[in-house]
Amino acid sequence: MSTDGARVLVVDDEKQIRRMLKAALEGHGYDIAEAATGQQGLSQTAIFHPDLIVLDLGLPDLDGVEVIQRLREWTQIPIIVLSVREHEDDKIKALDAGADDYVTKPFSMGELLARLRASLRRTAGSEDTPLLTFGELSVDLARRYVTIRGEEVKLTPTEYEVLKYLAQQAGRVVTHRQLLKAIWGSNYQEESQYLRVYVGQLRRKIEADPSQPAIIITEPGVGYRLITGD
Amino acid sequence: MNTHAHRTSEENEDIQRRFSFRGSQLKYYAWAVASVSIVTVIGEILKPHFDLINIVLLYLLPVLVSAVRWGRGPSFLSSFLGVLSFNFFFVPPIFTFAVGSMQHLFALVVFFLVALVTGGIATRLKDELEKATERERRTLTLYELSREIAAKTDLEQVLKAFAGKVGDTIRGEAVVFVQDPDADILRKMAATEDNAVFDAKEYAVARWVLEHGQPAGKGLGIFEGARSLFFFPVRAEDKILAVLGIRPNVENETLSGEQRQLIETFTNLAAVAIVRLQFAEEAEQAKVLAESEKLHAALLNSISHDLRTPLASITGAVTSLLAEGSMYTQETRDIFLQTIREEAHRMNRFIENLLRMVRLESGTLKLNMNWCDIQDIVGVVLRETRDALQGHTVTIDIPPDLPSVMADFILIEQVMVNLLDNAAKYSLPSSQISISAYYEDNVLLLTVADPGPPIPKAEQKHVFDKFYRRQSSKHASGTGLGLSICKGIIEAHGGSIRVDSAPEYGNRFTFYLPVLEEPLEQIPVREGAGHVD
Repeated sequence: MSTDGARVLVVDDEKQIRRMLKAALEGHGYDIAEAATGQQGLSQTAIFHPDLIVLDLGLPDLDGVEVIQRLREWTQIPIIVLSVREHEDDKIKALDAGADDYVTKPFSMGELLARLRASLRRTAGSEDTPLLTFGELSVDLARRYVTIRGEEVKLTPTEYEVLKYLAQQAGRVVTHRQLLKAIWGSNYQEESQYLRVYVGQLRRKIEADPSQPAIIITEPGVGYRLITGD
Repeated sequence: MNTHAHRTSEENEDIQRRFSFRGSQLKYYAWAVASVSIVTVIGEILKPHFDLINIVLLYLLPVLVSAVRWGRGPSFLSSFLGVLSFNFFFVPPIFTFAVGSMQHLFALVVFFLVALVTGGIATRLKDELEKATERERRTLTLYELSREIAAKTDLEQVLKAFAGKVGDTIRGEAVVFVQDPDADILRKMAATEDNAVFDAKEYAVARWVLEHGQPAGKGLGIFEGARSLFFFPVRAEDKILAVLGIRPNVENETLSGEQRQLIETFTNLAAVAIVRLQFAEEAEQAKVLAESEKLHAALLNSISHDLRTPLASITGAVTSLLAEGSMYTQETRDIFLQTIREEAHRMNRFIENLLRMVRLESGTLKLNMNWCDIQDIVGVVLRETRDALQGHTVTIDIPPDLPSVMADFILIEQVMVNLLDNAAKYSLPSSQISISAYYEDNVLLLTVADPGPPIPKAEQKHVFDKFYRRQSSKHASGTGLGLSICKGIIEAHGGSIRVDSAPEYGNRFTFYLPVLEEPLEQIPVREGAGHVD
């Protein structure tokens, strides 16, 4: 496995969850540190230098969203939120604060591990790769050239920008607000109908079956995710 | 002007007379005739000493008096009779209506004109005064009613004040009908007379008014009955809120325009007051609803959190074992299995708590009273909470000579499990939790203390409330059920529970159980704490 020695910090006030995650992740070759409170999580991040943080939102001292905000003041370490809160608002809040992904409890270990790998790969491979390939889709950032199943896809400038942003964040949830802000600027953060239109057009051009998207999938009420194909 | 006050009260009487019934104008004309006669007699007495022209001035007096007191008609009559009497009794040739000299004819004509003009002016003055007084009176009545009903907070009181005022003004009975919210009938809500009886037909008219929003009764065009009876709708915008029924004391009366106007103003005032009360009531209901929704949301939140948290560990462990069981060491696999066992256990405890809560709430919790040894309970509790207390040290201080206590072993065990769970949850890892017990004055006291951050004074009285979560730690997992269940159980035992907190020692939860000689049969759930001082 390519995850040898990756350091993961688990921040959760539930001892049983921490113990179970530690056992499972160590079994997969990760190096684990634990924190039971938000404060501990913040200080452990500075001491342990993790490559990724798994963060619960319901902590006894700080709210998880606040922990994300404080971390984002000085570090871009990937943060995966692991929480029982399943409401879209909670997800959006955490993602907008800077979390990379959101997994709701209860979760299957396989899914969590996949998200972990995707996040780690993104940070590892983010050094200006001009060609992004996801299964049948490839995006050549240097030439603004998109192919699907080997054939060129003609995209409008806006469609290309949406696809590029999703591709650069491949595998993680991008909230409506983040996408709008990146493409139209901060004045359009609430205009999510723009997105529906462009994402719909994109899907018609790149999806084999636009009614059952397999590349750009909708995270209901939260945003979109570009599937990495693993 | 100096007679103003005097006149006002007289005219008040006059107005009221007009309100109750149209007084006989004939009487006023008689008075006019009488006053002219008196002046004639006085004139006869004065005739030897005065000029004729001066005597004619005397006749202006009955004209003015009639104009001011009895109105336009009597004033005209006085003018006319004055001219005739003066002519007949004083102007030569006496005792005929013939006029001898040009001079006297001129005097008669001037007198007649002056009498008519002054009479007219005086009458108009009187009318205006009357109107002003009437306006003043009406304003006063309206003011009184609005002040009275503004102070009332109850619909029935408002309607009573309204009916009372209408009854006073109209000089009769007034009744207010409202639609019964539960049945399709009109209900008499307030009346000036408790035994005001309306027959079925009159009820039907009231009903019609409620449905159509138009006044009905004698002289109002609709339902002209034999009896003097009027119904007015009390409406706010397009909704008819109530019906006002009026029965004047005098039969065969119709309402004057002014009366009708006044009544309609009254009903408007009443409508505003009713709507105000309705709004207040709706606001109150909305508040209660919001409270219960909040409670509901809290319940759902806590259930979802407390069931899902252990489920998360279980699912994580199970999916690990299922997918890639072989790649883990035996030791790791044991950790997964232990996790599953412990978390299943925790879920079970949570469900037990929920069920206890429901039983406590519905009053179906049965106490299984037996002689219990506290030392024994504590032993079981420590075994039960081994997982939760991991990493903490627990000190126990229980005197060996502690008497046995009549209690439900399982329920007291749950109280202590909840208290220890809390102590572990709200204090830092590896802190020292202590359990101590002692006996005093037929009461057994048991304290669980943790060195965690003290609960602020303001929150202390709420920690035993259902679904209450400490503000200072509301991010922590938990239902807000544990302590309220403790309270319910302890009170069902006839004891009480309290907390005291200070930065020096953290939080101390203490419960008291009565130590009785006789076994208890039926223990009622006690409201409020017993001996908490």
